[in-house]
Amino acid sequence: MYNSLDLFQTAGAMARHAGARQAVVARNIANADTPDFQAQSIAAFKDVYAGSATTTMRATRAGHLGGQIGQHTTDLRQTVVGEPSPNGNTVSIEDEMLRAVEVSREHNRALTIYRHAMTVLRTSLGRS
Amino acid sequence: MTDFSDAISVATSGMKAQASRLRHVSENIANTDTPGYRRKAITFEEMVNLGRTTGEVAVGEVRLDRSELSRIYDPAHPMADAAGYYQGSNVNLLIEIADAREAQRSYEANLKMFDQVRQMSTALMDLLRR
Repeated sequence: MYNSLDLFQTAGAMARHAGARQAVVARNIANADTPDFQAQSIAAFKDVYAGSATTTMRATRAGHLGGQIGQHTTDLRQTVVGEPSPNGNTVSIEDEMLRAVEVSREHNRALTIYRHAMTVLRTSLGRS
Repeated sequence: MTDFSDAISVATSGMKAQASRLRHVSENIANTDTPGYRRKAITFEEMVNLGRTTGEVAVGEVRLDRSELSRIYDPAHPMADAAGYYQGSNVNLLIEIADAREAQRSYEANLKMFDQVRQMSTALMDLLRR
């Protein structure tokens, strides 16, 4: 029922997007000392959303419902261009920390919007 | 949720790898004065499962540092040769301490990621609980 409302759909897609980004950041940090590892990243939700709203949303949901793990995230993943360290690794812990904070805020925002919209619905139903 | 459990297992693998790195560093430091001891070095590599990389980090094989062992002059030592020298270890304490510090920093970063993923999924669960 909630999914038929655009607001819930967008908030849900945003939370899912934050989850996918977090997975990529965790992967980069775990491999911060692996030789020849190329850091990857996923663009912020607003950029992905602005790019092509309908297809992105559908892609995000298809991966979710189809149970194909990480399918949509692999499509969105890009290799970060950065200065490699002597062992060929391009992960910068500082950049990843920055991204992690961004992701955490994005996720929080999505959940807050979702919760708030739910409160509005509940109020309209006469429950609080 | 798969993204979250992926992220948690990746962060855990990172912590495990850094912990085993730290273990080898402490082995090296403990054996600084062992005659003939060669410094152990470990490598990190991406874990490959069913032909594709999972993003988890794995510890590769342990290698011995092939650099020259130090020669220490001590005629009274039981292992000293005719010239009064014996072979010490090739452990450089400065390198080991730097390595330990780097491992610690990476471990902390992984721990932070783990904590953040946990917080995110807790927030999601709170939404369900209402």
